[in-house]
Amino acid sequence: MSQTMPTATQRRLRTYAFWAVPVLLLLLPLATNPYTQFIANGMLISVLVTLGFTLTIGNLGQLAFANTAFFGIGAYASAILAAKLGVPWLLTIPLAGAFGALGGFLASAAALRGIRTYYLAIITLAFGELMRWAYLHAKPVTGGTDGMPMPREALFGISLGDDSLKFYIFLGVTVLLVKATLNLMRSRFGRAVMAVRENEIATASLAIPTARVILVTFMWSGFVVGCAGALFARHVGHVFPESFGMLHLIASFAMVLVGGLGSVLGAVLGAVLLTALPEYLRAFPGMEELFFGLIVAGVLVAMPMGLASLLRRLSPVFVERFYREAP
Amino acid sequence: MTLLDVKSLSVRFSGLTALDDVSFTLEEGNVRAVIGPNGAGKSTLFNAISGYVTPTSGTVHLHGHELTQLTPHEIAERGIRRTFQNGGLFPALTVLENVLTGLHAQTHGSFLDILLGRSKALKSEAENIHRARELLKLMSMEHMADTRAGDLSGGQQRIVEIVRTVASDPPVLLLDEPAVGLSPEARAQMMEIIHRLAGEKGVGILLIEHAVELVMAAADRILVMAAGARIAEGTPEEIREDRAVLEAYLGHS
Repeated sequence: MSQTMPTATQRRLRTYAFWAVPVLLLLLPLATNPYTQFIANGMLISVLVTLGFTLTIGNLGQLAFANTAFFGIGAYASAILAAKLGVPWLLTIPLAGAFGALGGFLASAAALRGIRTYYLAIITLAFGELMRWAYLHAKPVTGGTDGMPMPREALFGISLGDDSLKFYIFLGVTVLLVKATLNLMRSRFGRAVMAVRENEIATASLAIPTARVILVTFMWSGFVVGCAGALFARHVGHVFPESFGMLHLIASFAMVLVGGLGSVLGAVLGAVLLTALPEYLRAFPGMEELFFGLIVAGVLVAMPMGLASLLRRLSPVFVERFYREAP
Repeated sequence: MTLLDVKSLSVRFSGLTALDDVSFTLEEGNVRAVIGPNGAGKSTLFNAISGYVTPTSGTVHLHGHELTQLTPHEIAERGIRRTFQNGGLFPALTVLENVLTGLHAQTHGSFLDILLGRSKALKSEAENIHRARELLKLMSMEHMADTRAGDLSGGQQRIVEIVRTVASDPPVLLLDEPAVGLSPEARAQMMEIIHRLAGEKGVGILLIEHAVELVMAAADRILVMAAGARIAEGTPEEIREDRAVLEAYLGHS
């Protein structure tokens, strides 16, 4: 069954659309109230968290659940650097990304030792819980159960407590990281990641250093999610250990699956929809969780490959492949 | 010119000798078949040459450079490429993407170049896409470039795997049962491909194959193995007459 690839015109359209969406989103703060703006900011963070997750679990195909650990590492790195060392928050974003990448390096160590499937799942889950234990018990550094408050800061004379200003910064970071990740996926690197998932032994026979591919994928995933952690620290203004538990992991996993495993577009869709959904469900007090669960299950039963697969069927514009045709 | 020089290669797994002191050379443009009953050590020989199994003793040289202790991807980068008995394609990737994975080491641009979408990386990518399409055209498979590899027939999969394996122009090719499960027409096409690679491109080909008529027609020399050791070596005509070979295959005679 041959897949219909986007035509040259469709590819151009897609490039315009990619940049048009964030440009249009610049107007969003004009249309929001403080509450909806806060939700929109959270969506951007979820997009990055889901993106990092889908890379390791979808594209690389490793049952690794260290994603929430990367998120917490990034958030705490940002909070500690800003509160204890006085580093400007904006600067803590790439630094938090670097710490997240370090987390990715640690998580990949298990995979590189040949630990796979359920065993990798348990080890990476334990890594996440271990990090949470560390946030709770390293009280002098992390504040323990009291958490870490983010220091007040201003940028261009506007307080960083301002949700519209935060939105513009979050949007900039999100667009850059999504674009960079797309560049990676549509290159020899993205193909190598998929090749490792599909047949690791055959991959090595093509002069592809599989261990390095696994390591770098985990580190890039950790970087993206670590940056998201820094955004989250500013978003909520106070970092607590509870934010980085199983609940967050399950929510991000649902976003990955609803969007479509291993799809960048799917990561964006899944994150946006599942962040928005609970807000709409507030109209049904007491039934929110039930409806949320039913909707997630319904989507997965109807579209096991996620929302991205539905769009792919509608138009080749949405087909994501692992190479980039010359324009 | 000697491409591959295998000297006294042995592989022992805790007491079991899977490969016992095997030596041979492979010349440019030659096809050497490796035959023998199941368990003769043919696959172990392939795995030892391509780095998937570390030889207990002996050496492998390509162009006079030793490869014995290198990892599979390093050996592939040096110019020995292989296919797999059970098929090594990536089913979820398209035919074009599969061929492109064979050009991984030929694609330029660092991780940072790729990340930032620098023109150096994009240019190399575009060149390789062009090259991959040309290679598919040679096999009359360009219309299947966007088909998922998993959706191809068995014969088409074998051919795409060979295209992917030779995309980087390796001097040495190891083919592990390329004709198994193929229809007579696909078999003929496979023969033709092997002939063309050796004859026109001068690739040295090491071929594991059970299909006797294919081996006799394609091979310049044949290495016969049994129980991990070499029991005969020679041209197809010599092997046809060899008593040791007849015994190995037919029991005593």
